[in-house]
Amino acid sequence: MRSPSSLKQEFLKRWMRGLQRCTSSKKDMNVLERKKVIKLSADLAIASARNGTTSWSRALIANASRDNDNRILAERILGPESDILIKRVSTSVGTVSCNRKIRSKKILKRSCNSVRRVRKGTHLPQKVLAKSIAKRLVQKRTQILKRLVPGGEFMDELSLIEETLDYIAYLRAQVDVMRCIASATELINHD
Amino acid sequence: MSSRRSTQSGTSRITDDQIIELVSKLRQLVPEIRNRRSDKVPASKVLQETCNYIRSLHREVDDLSERLSQLLATIDADSAEASIIRSLIAQ
Repeated sequence: MRSPSSLKQEFLKRWMRGLQRCTSSKKDMNVLERKKVIKLSADLAIASARNGTTSWSRALIANASRDNDNRILAERILGPESDILIKRVSTSVGTVSCNRKIRSKKILKRSCNSVRRVRKGTHLPQKVLAKSIAKRLVQKRTQILKRLVPGGEFMDELSLIEETLDYIAYLRAQVDVMRCIASATELINHD
Repeated sequence: MSSRRSTQSGTSRITDDQIIELVSKLRQLVPEIRNRRSDKVPASKVLQETCNYIRSLHREVDDLSERLSQLLATIDADSAEASIIRSLIAQ
């Protein structure tokens, strides 16, 4: 895994480039538009820094280019590499969405089975009951995690853990750099 | 890595080994888990703290984006301050 400081440098470079590509053409943006551009270029910066090698980064780019307005903005932010990245993302997401129906049926079956098991076990010893409760808690929280990590709903548990670790590392770099820039800008403003 | 995946794709639950691996790595990343011993942290707790952590990071990105959009609005594009920021940022 890359060092945090190299992640931050990579993110900063891409974020600033993306921002410059947007602000050079549109001089008067209101606060809301500017926030959207800042946030989108920050998210695309961490995703493109990963260069489409992880599911979360591909899903982030795919989500950003989903509706037409966002797609134009995303393409501008990503610049010359937008063609390659968006193409790569759309081909991988296409195959995954076919599995969606199958997986959701499996999840439904799985949850029905677990409910049935617990109902029959009214006379089960404490330990077994506690274990099944713990198992359901893990399943429930895994589902929440899947919603938080981009593209998580399509991942199996093992990939989810790996993707989560990678995603958190990039998120931290993003937050650290943005925090630095915000405080630096504030300092300068106060003069 | 791919052989690990093919054996695990049939199962639905997270195994203990995976949890131990996750905890040891999350320890360095997530503040709340850092002070606990790995064998005593249940899987559900690890997942919960991870979700909370990701949510707080998302919130921070959102707040910082808002703060930055307000700060940058007040900077005159041609001022000395803007050029300082630009030179700090240009690598």
